Amino acid sequence: MRDEVLLELTRSICPVCKASVDAELNARAGRVFLRKRCDEHGEFEALVYGDADRYLEIQRYNKPGDRPLLLQTETVDGCPHDCGICPEHRQHSCLGIIEVNTNCNLDCPVCFAESGTGHHADGFSLTLEQVESMLDAFVAAEGEPEAIQLSGGEPSIHPQILEMLAAAKQRGIRLVMLNTNGIRLARDPRFAPALAELGVHVYLQFDGFDDSTHLAIRGKRLQDDKRRALDRCADAGVSVSLAAAIERGVNEHEIGAIVRFGVEHPAVNGVFFQPVTHSGRHLDFDPLERVTNVDVIRAVCNQLPDWFREDDFIAVPCCSPTCRSATYALYDGDDLVPLPRLVDVEDYLDYITNRALPDLDVRRALEGLFSASAAGGTEPTGERLDCVACGVGLPPELAEVAAKGFMIVTQDFQDPWTLDVRKLMKCCVSEIVPDGRLIPFCAYNSVGYREQVRADLVAQRTASP
Amino acid sequence: MSVPSDPFAGLLEGDVAGCCADLYELPAVRWLLDGQLHPGGRELTLRAARLAGIGAGTRVLDVASGAGTTALLVAGELGAEVIGVERGDGAVAQARTAAADAGLDGAVSFVAADATSLPLDDASVDAILCECSLCLFEDKPTAVSEMARVLRPGGIVVIADVTVEPDALPAKLRTAAARVACVADALPLDGYASLLRDAGLDVDCQEEHREAVAAMADRVESRLRAARIIRVAALEPWRSELSAAIELAGLAKQAIADGIVGYALTAARGPG
Repeated sequence: MRDEVLLELTRSICPVCKASVDAELNARAGRVFLRKRCDEHGEFEALVYGDADRYLEIQRYNKPGDRPLLLQTETVDGCPHDCGICPEHRQHSCLGIIEVNTNCNLDCPVCFAESGTGHHADGFSLTLEQVESMLDAFVAAEGEPEAIQLSGGEPSIHPQILEMLAAAKQRGIRLVMLNTNGIRLARDPRFAPALAELGVHVYLQFDGFDDSTHLAIRGKRLQDDKRRALDRCADAGVSVSLAAAIERGVNEHEIGAIVRFGVEHPAVNGVFFQPVTHSGRHLDFDPLERVTNVDVIRAVCNQLPDWFREDDFIAVPCCSPTCRSATYALYDGDDLVPLPRLVDVEDYLDYITNRALPDLDVRRALEGLFSASAAGGTEPTGERLDCVACGVGLPPELAEVAAKGFMIVTQDFQDPWTLDVRKLMKCCVSEIVPDGRLIPFCAYNSVGYREQVRADLVAQRTASP
Repeated sequence: MSVPSDPFAGLLEGDVAGCCADLYELPAVRWLLDGQLHPGGRELTLRAARLAGIGAGTRVLDVASGAGTTALLVAGELGAEVIGVERGDGAVAQARTAAADAGLDGAVSFVAADATSLPLDDASVDAILCECSLCLFEDKPTAVSEMARVLRPGGIVVIADVTVEPDALPAKLRTAAARVACVADALPLDGYASLLRDAGLDVDCQEEHREAVAAMADRVESRLRAARIIRVAALEPWRSELSAAIELAGLAKQAIADGIVGYALTAARGPG
């Protein structure tokens, strides 16, 4: 008999054979674990949230989702085997990701995309035409998509990456991001100005400062390249989000330093923390001692106690509340003020019990807040802030706020051990694949879609003359 | 409405209640308080209403009704009939507009009057709410005896107010500026009970809600700090005062953390 409380039943997959299995979410010793059993492969258990009280508390922030304009698949076998997006899905895609290649100029020990320098034989590189048709599929599904990220592999080494980014811009996608390790930015002085001209936002892998961190996560000491890449972005006027992969026992102690560095660097306007995904290629890990969002939040607060406290981080309501937490802060070189302290978040985000204010959300609260600040008589109007925390940032009317604003996000992607279909059904980050499907990110990496898509693309390449 | 060059200047003079009512009409003050003129927001208002036994058809007097937020909440959520009394003419007009906008102008009415001379008959209301404003009244005994006069026998008055242990209060918080934040002239917890007893009422219970005033002080301090970083139109006239105001807010937060300042609901019943 285990000393635990059964919180919920859900469905997951066997990490070995990917078959659907029933799963339990249990609270034990103040934390939440997902346990499941495959008839063939036995029992599996993984930590999904590091604080049971907070896990239960933030369920209230679960906001009803929006349907996309278009669904690409039918529901046949049930989640997560019908991606996507199938009629069972409960949310549209705030962010679309296109992986343009598998080639990389690094061989990171933790790559969830299993990319690298030696993968020419079994890898792929999309054509501009393929990317354009994938962008069209995204526009068809979303109408006016909020954000797209071109990724890889290492997308910056694709010979037509600039044309691909331009194609995304031409389709009116508001935030076009390049997910990069920064090596080309550091070494090719023409690259940052070219991105600046296109208005592309850089999502730069940036895991910390210690040699041991770089060697464990990226396999190389890249500190100088990262700094050079950032300085070139600052010079060219390219805005950057730092994306930090966080692994237990590797770089948790650098979380505060990464935030401080980002806040102070002129090119950087946000940090995205991602506990390392145990999909694809990864370090040896103990699924019962993973880093979860609340661990990242606590590290930020413990390492920067003058700046942040735990209630500055809001569970983002558009996806499942335990998937992503975020805060937004104003900074002017002397003082830093987290925005959630300026509004009564509870009044706006409690979707379960909030009957009196059904229409209000943080977007309106922020609009109200800053309409009082409108400089030069310009008032922010109906601009969509819904997807702010999913990587979009504040609308252009709030230029001064945006210029002095800094966003911190922690996003705990699911892996084959932690996958919970209820969270997956609410996922708002989609991988766009060449046949026009939009596959929720965590399904793509956990269920076998990635392998399938890659095999199809490699087969096409070998079949073509 | 014209904006005085120094929001705190009038506070050094005598007519404090009037001055504070005017202050609460300032856009700067509204912005700093997030439109929420008392700690605890709607949750604590509803808690006070529950203690006052307010339900459908209850005749309620809201003393110092401000822009009408409490009156509209109690009428809209609980179905009470509410009369709001407020000194500030601007606030009364604003409250009337808000009532009309909410379609509640049949259930709520607002009167410009002084709390020490209520324009109501003896024993004419079932319940009285007075949120975060008794501490601002110069003549508290008269204001409370007016409440006792208009309350029907067995009716309930709930005072929601800042509590303070005056001997422990830092000197800086006793300044006129602190009076705006309801701190310097507030009473200790048992002071409110005594005041109500002295007016002939029977005290039912007292509930402490220190977390509510802590959250409000934190909100004000954060908004002042935000206004120092970005331009906030409502606060631009006082940009040079922001750092002093932030220091004061910090002192208030510390006093709350130390238990010197708090917030409490006091419920008392009219005899009979």
